[in-house]
Amino acid sequence: MTQDATNRQQPVPSELLEQVASAVAQQKAMDGGPTFLPHGCRLFRIASGWESNMIRRDKGVTSCETLLEFEAALRNPDVKVVFLTADAIITDADIEKICQRNGVTKTLFKEVKEA
Amino acid sequence: MKNDKKPSPLKTPMKDLKPEDVKSLERPLGTSDRPYPMWGSQRIEHNGRADLEQVLSVIADDTYPMKVFSERPYKEVIAMAYCDMPTPSMLPLFFDGLERRKPDSTNRTQMMIGDPGAGKSFLGALQGRLRSKEPVEVLDCGGKNMRELLFEMVLDFGAGDALPKSIDKRLQAGTLEPMSMALLKALPSEVVSIEDGTVKSIDWNGLKAINNDKVEAAFETLKKVSKIEGLDNAGGNALGMNSQYGPLIRKFMAGEEIVLDEYNKSREGTDDNLQTVWQFCIGELKECTVENPLKNKDATAGPSEFTFRREDMKPGFFVTLTGNKKEDGVTTRSLNKSVYSRLSPQTLPDPDVIDWQHRICQMMVGLPVSTLYTTFKEQADKDPDQFGEWLLWLRRTKAEVEGGKVPELQETLLQNWKNVVNSSEKLARFYDKWQKMTDAEKITSNGNPDLVEEVDDEYSKKEGIDFRKIKQHLEEAIPIRPRMLKEDAPRALDLKAWEKVPSLGEPVVENSSLNFGTRLTEFLERMVYEKSGAVGKPKLYNKLQKAMQEFALRDITLQEAARSKQRSVEEDLNISAFNDRDLTKQAKMARNVFCDFLRQSNPEIKATNDEIVTPKTFVDALTAISKAETAKSNELFVANRDPESLYAGHPLVSAIIKDAATYVAAKKEIDFGLNDLVHHDDFLASLAMPTVGAKNLTAVWDQNLRPLMTNRQEAANANTPPAAAAGAGTPGPVMDLDESLYIAENRSDKKIATTSLQVLWTDEQGERPVSIHIVRNETRNKTLVVSEKAPSKLLSAFKEAGVIHVDRNDANAVTKVEQALAEITRGLTPSVKERLVDAFKYRNDADSSPALKGKEPKLTELLVDGNVEMMYPKYVIKNDKKKAAGM
Repeated sequence: MTQDATNRQQPVPSELLEQVASAVAQQKAMDGGPTFLPHGCRLFRIASGWESNMIRRDKGVTSCETLLEFEAALRNPDVKVVFLTADAIITDADIEKICQRNGVTKTLFKEVKEA
Repeated sequence: MKNDKKPSPLKTPMKDLKPEDVKSLERPLGTSDRPYPMWGSQRIEHNGRADLEQVLSVIADDTYPMKVFSERPYKEVIAMAYCDMPTPSMLPLFFDGLERRKPDSTNRTQMMIGDPGAGKSFLGALQGRLRSKEPVEVLDCGGKNMRELLFEMVLDFGAGDALPKSIDKRLQAGTLEPMSMALLKALPSEVVSIEDGTVKSIDWNGLKAINNDKVEAAFETLKKVSKIEGLDNAGGNALGMNSQYGPLIRKFMAGEEIVLDEYNKSREGTDDNLQTVWQFCIGELKECTVENPLKNKDATAGPSEFTFRREDMKPGFFVTLTGNKKEDGVTTRSLNKSVYSRLSPQTLPDPDVIDWQHRICQMMVGLPVSTLYTTFKEQADKDPDQFGEWLLWLRRTKAEVEGGKVPELQETLLQNWKNVVNSSEKLARFYDKWQKMTDAEKITSNGNPDLVEEVDDEYSKKEGIDFRKIKQHLEEAIPIRPRMLKEDAPRALDLKAWEKVPSLGEPVVENSSLNFGTRLTEFLERMVYEKSGAVGKPKLYNKLQKAMQEFALRDITLQEAARSKQRSVEEDLNISAFNDRDLTKQAKMARNVFCDFLRQSNPEIKATNDEIVTPKTFVDALTAISKAETAKSNELFVANRDPESLYAGHPLVSAIIKDAATYVAAKKEIDFGLNDLVHHDDFLASLAMPTVGAKNLTAVWDQNLRPLMTNRQEAANANTPPAAAAGAGTPGPVMDLDESLYIAENRSDKKIATTSLQVLWTDEQGERPVSIHIVRNETRNKTLVVSEKAPSKLLSAFKEAGVIHVDRNDANAVTKVEQALAEITRGLTPSVKERLVDAFKYRNDADSSPALKGKEPKLTELLVDGNVEMMYPKYVIKNDKKKAAGM
């Protein structure tokens, strides 16, 4: 192998790229400020688009569409970040209620469709 | 397959626990090198007399520290314990809660009574969260039958919740039969969300555990829906009813915590048969058996009884009961004497200023900076940077626990933690006053008897201030939202082509911390008015306005005399990224601005930032500039677009101001030409860079007009500009009293100043000198710059630098300058604003513009009129020595 070949930059693994993109998208969603929920949970809203897709696809994030899934995610100690899809059948009042009865602190992202 | 996983010691019965198991759970809190804040009564001596007082101190004991018995790693426990720390007045309860959670403790209950929103259930759940990663069940007891804590009738959906999942699927797809929809709407309101007349969601877990008296009706409804939807025949869609252990027994068996929220709002008389269980839970009994009254009811299966035994108790089991104060409302009931006697409720004190401040800080930055600062003040003052690093470590570790990142706003605020402490104290005092003014019950005793007619119980309930209100206010203030223009601001309406989407200008992104203080205080100002003045409560409004002034919420509320002594909340919380003390970070920002500017001004440049200039080069340049003494020498540093020297490593070059006034005074001819002038864009780019812009804004001022005015004293006549006339012919003392001259020299004690510069401009008409007018408020670090069109890549950075740039050729230039001047001169007296116009005229000849000749133009008109010529121009010249920053 030539010296050139050894020095050539390896392409960045796509998985790493996705992680970085998700982190950027999460930080951007946080710029919009949180809705403070019971027990220190914070909900950040993010407009539907590439950024919300990045968060949804993140392996460290659990995506939920129903209240049963949402509550299961809150109760799972291995889940830290929860993503609620734009089509989820979950209202804001539901989120507040479920967070209130499960005393746990997690980070929530809610995808919203822009008008 | 055999499950070899050893259960957590928290979930192991005491009889099976070994000393090493208990030891493995110990996480000390409050040791000599990691003291933990604590609030309590101590004897304090005053003039030889000792009185008991409530004080904030620490627990710092290596032999007997507080202990959290936790499955979590120490790092997580410590970060959570410091970040989510209860308010100072609740710390004794926190301490007590830890003591009762010791594995050998026989009392496994804690009952707290307090106002709504005081943080009772949060405190209960926090203790559980500190111990385990599993959630703590918080059961809302409001209106519930407390017998169901022991045994409950539940809906049984079979394994995997097949029926709920099938219904959810159809609900989401909108394919539920209309009759099913109608039936589901009739389910108990607490488990169904209805939006626009249709069922949006069903809380199946809530429905499973619905009150016993509602469970049968729910069962019948779901049976019908199941049939209508054809789900009754599908495999796994089982639906039944069963009696099972209630949450209290389940938690006892599992060795977990439970919070019984609003216990004194539960249904009256339903907790009678819990008395022996409470006796067991507080350690009075070693054993107690409870029978299931639901057993064999309607042939349901289930346990017939349960025996609580001390030896079966697991360290993780704990019951927190919370209750609202009796005056909270009709649904709150007084508990019977035996409950009070057994559970010994602890009443939360009313929050004090220190508590408000604590919570404000937690909501603003994620940890109680104020309490930590008060506790460790000496060390924090001695080494603020290290203290700040520690705060950031705590916050970042907590974010790791929660799986998220630290929001940028919080990072910035924590890097400026002193601003947070200062502003939160003022906010806390303001909220404390607001709370007292809106507390109808205590209004006569807390110094607000004059508000009796305006503040009644109803108003108190609706608009009284509690921690939840602060939360709402911060939620409103954090995001950047569209702002309403001033009522008299001109508006332009394009009446054509409304079918087309409007073309928006290039976005000028703003850092969320840049105007956070303004957003928060403006919102508070609005709330104060809307909740008092606008709803017919003039006395309350007046008092709140006075409180806003007293605690310096907005710059405008600061009195002139007080201005120099204290910073407003607004000012403290408006934090620019450019203020970062770390020069490396400043250099990074400056490099980004410079490279974006360079690529925009020459689109042929495709090079990356690293290819244009290395980070180190920029750090060196900024280091050299920050050390340079330039204010007296009028030396500036501007962007360098000369490829040769740029690629030699000089992104910034030196420039100098040459003042025509000094040439006139010395009777010398101008000795430089148009080619020597610095380009308009290069100077503007310098203002958009941290350190560089700030340095340049200190170096554009002079006192060169004074000699001229003394020389001209004989020549002074009515034709001289008004301000100049005041000084001309009257040397010394009168000049020294001329406020406008001070303003033109940046020596006014009002900290407002204005001057003008001449730079090179190139357009289709060729090259020519143009004016750049500067109006600066040093106290507020706001600068208005009016000149030609600025490169759009500089606009975001201008915001960070506190520079408001207005293109004088912009159709809305007048409006923009008016708004900027209003912002910059906010709080100044009208006479100072008048002097500002005169100060401008020291350098500029208003009559040189045909449009303004013979009139008395306003400053706005003078600033935007490109025909106004400078009488004594101050030219920005490339430095003769071709000196580059960092050389």
